[in-house]
Amino acid sequence: MDYLTEGFIKALHLLVGGHPETFSAIETTLTVTSWSMAASLILGIPSGFLLGYRDFRGKRAVRTVVDTCLAFPTVLIGLLVYAFVSRRGPLGELGLLFTPAAIAVGQTILALPVVIALTATAIESLDRQLRISLLSLGARGRQVLLTSIWEARHGVIAAALTAYGRVLTEVGISMMVGGNIKWHTRTMTTAIALETGKGEFAMGVALGLVLMAIAFVVNVSLAILRKRA
Amino acid sequence: MIYLVEGLRHRYGTQTVLRLDRLTIERHKIVGLIGPNGSGKSTLLRLLAFVEPPSRGRIVYYPEEGNAGNEDARFQVTLLGQEPYLLKRTVLANVAYGLKVRGDTESLEKRAAEALEWVGLPPRAFLRRRWFELSGGEAQRVALAARLVLRPKVLLLDEPTASVDMESAQRIREAALRAQREWGTTIVVASHDRHWLFEVCDGMLHLLKGRLAGTGAENIILGPWRQCGQDLWAKRLEDGQELVLPGAPGPNAMALIPPDRLALEHVLEDSSDSSPASAPYDGACRIAGTLLRLTLERAGGHILATVAVGRSLFTATLPPSRGLRPAPFYPGQRVELIFPAHDVAWFS
Amino acid sequence: MKGKLRNTLLVPALFLALFACAGGAPQAADKVLQMATTTSTDNTGLLDYLAPMFKEATGIELRWVAVGTGKALELGKNCDVDVLLVHSPAAEEKYVAEGYGVERTRIMYNDFVIIGPKDDPAGIRGMNASAALKTLAMEKIPFVSRGDSSGTHKKELSLWKAAGIPVEDKADWYIQTGQGMLATINVAAERRGYTLTDRGTYIKYEHTLKGDPPLVILAEGDRNLFNQYSALIVNPQRCPQVKADLAKAFIDWLTSPATQKAIADYKMLGKSLFTPNAER
Repeated sequence: MDYLTEGFIKALHLLVGGHPETFSAIETTLTVTSWSMAASLILGIPSGFLLGYRDFRGKRAVRTVVDTCLAFPTVLIGLLVYAFVSRRGPLGELGLLFTPAAIAVGQTILALPVVIALTATAIESLDRQLRISLLSLGARGRQVLLTSIWEARHGVIAAALTAYGRVLTEVGISMMVGGNIKWHTRTMTTAIALETGKGEFAMGVALGLVLMAIAFVVNVSLAILRKRA
Repeated sequence: MIYLVEGLRHRYGTQTVLRLDRLTIERHKIVGLIGPNGSGKSTLLRLLAFVEPPSRGRIVYYPEEGNAGNEDARFQVTLLGQEPYLLKRTVLANVAYGLKVRGDTESLEKRAAEALEWVGLPPRAFLRRRWFELSGGEAQRVALAARLVLRPKVLLLDEPTASVDMESAQRIREAALRAQREWGTTIVVASHDRHWLFEVCDGMLHLLKGRLAGTGAENIILGPWRQCGQDLWAKRLEDGQELVLPGAPGPNAMALIPPDRLALEHVLEDSSDSSPASAPYDGACRIAGTLLRLTLERAGGHILATVAVGRSLFTATLPPSRGLRPAPFYPGQRVELIFPAHDVAWFS
Repeated sequence: MKGKLRNTLLVPALFLALFACAGGAPQAADKVLQMATTTSTDNTGLLDYLAPMFKEATGIELRWVAVGTGKALELGKNCDVDVLLVHSPAAEEKYVAEGYGVERTRIMYNDFVIIGPKDDPAGIRGMNASAALKTLAMEKIPFVSRGDSSGTHKKELSLWKAAGIPVEDKADWYIQTGQGMLATINVAAERRGYTLTDRGTYIKYEHTLKGDPPLVILAEGDRNLFNQYSALIVNPQRCPQVKADLAKAFIDWLTSPATQKAIADYKMLGKSLFTPNAER
């Protein structure tokens, strides 16, 4: 139990006292998750729309694959990305291993199925009449896409938040392809894993609380945005 | 001609829901669409609106200017569904949506206000309202305003008054007719309100099980039929009379009787010993009922008589007065519908 | 629709390019040396102590990933790092023999200790490693093993071998945790068992329990318990991208008398941890 109270006090110290290592980890975490979220939303929302809106052959198979990918273990994604960006891998020339970019790529793979599946569900649950209405008012293609996504905005925001929850808390990818390099690719979660491994449980708790605080700030900002819309 | 439909077959899964060999719709006219639920009315309207393509066959739209084709239809044809979808935004945004799609954003608010006035919604009270602040009838009227603001060449209406209050229904009808009057908008309207359709339509299309069954006024007698002899089929009507007809193709067939084949005769109140409604081969069947109302048909100038038998309604055409004796009919009378058995058309 | 499809394909390509740029930039700075080392090395804090000194002396930035020994060697095989700092002599020899690494250089050693309950129910206090393990196996006293193929686990296996006792994988008294050193020590404390640990982790463990731990050091100082650290350069002939010159500079710096003295002076929680033994 001591860890928890001690951790709480330490968390305040880290934030108020401006502990540079922690701030470096926070910065890396925010940078990397922003990249991966931007990528997964830009790719995932239109794909989710198509999956939810259009009927095509093999749609159910695609849906099953996407739903299965929801259970993609982060360690496996980490290994997969590692295999590609390792010096001896097909993308080795890019020198991506042990960079924040590599983590962002892995997290994009992690978040993409979440965004696609939940967006598709949100679009599917829209009234069937919406499509007929939009088409009969003259909307086509991109107009239908944007209006439908806007109509399903609550579902899409929920998709984004769920995905953000996953990328913010994953350890496997950051550890495997980021390497947990201090000042460079150490994220909040790999720092927690490191401190816990070293037996610094209170520090682990403190960093965990800081991570929760970040999640809280993000959720509150989105809740305010959602109210306006 | 504004529409030409040829060789149309439309399928959902393995079921063919619409089968129309040829159909034309004239410009500036009001065409009524009647038929029971599931007869393909909504499907036909969606196809005419080009929101889905037919499985087979073609629908050609002829714009006033330019080439025949379906490109112009996108911005000239609009459909108002039975329960239209309002965007989760303000009334203004909903009414202006079609204009924005067209990139036509000049004085949006003024035009939206005009359209709202057409459907009897005071713009000052409604423009800023949000989608959840509207009653069902108001929502339907906003949806109609969103179509009228586009000044459509074709307005397709799918039972626009089926689920709204009386005032809304009246406003919707008036607004649609006004569009036809002022802009020459072609209107195709599906409705269960035959009475109104007969009043306002230039022509009627009767859909039955996805097929064109006539010009609208046909009386339908649904099965089940009970076989009661060699090729004789009986059906007990709602008020207890038994109708026996020859030639049904099966127990679930529908019998169709054109209104101009029904003759109307008075029933004397005391002659209650009249024979039942069965007289198979002598040619004349009789059904007793109560004359409900008389309507002047807009298209042909005929007088249509609506007769209630139990709760079913039959429509008979009274011939234009032949000088000799003006039809001495008035609502409330007991009458008999008389028709030759061989004029019954069967539909399976 | 066709345009949309093209866009759909374009976007991922764009992102990959962006990621490449974002990742490529820091890599382009030539003076970065990428090292793979083991978690236990990193946990001692020695690298945090040495890296700034190295940067000051040579201008080279040392970046390291701390992973298990097996994975560190694997990273070298895949050319993902330039230099290795590990402590698994048998594996290192094989590694060099197979041509994956060159210039294996001894740097320093620390040591392992056998710890157990204060009252020492097996009575192994002061024994050498082989005798201690023999006693534990004979008495079937609980022994907690890492069981995770880590350097420490490999060391433990080699000690059993040296003692001439086959490892009883399924015996009740032989507990394999598959977890880190600290978790393993905690399991040993719960089960009133013995375990093998590196001295650094034990110092921390002792410190967190305010100097009154349930487990104490019972066997130490045996040559068999020494833990030799070596540095290796990833073979530049196999991996042309390897910055062999920087790696060479690092090893030269590590083995210089000044650095060797700095290693000897390094203290964790007030206790010395490493003994430098580079041969120049």
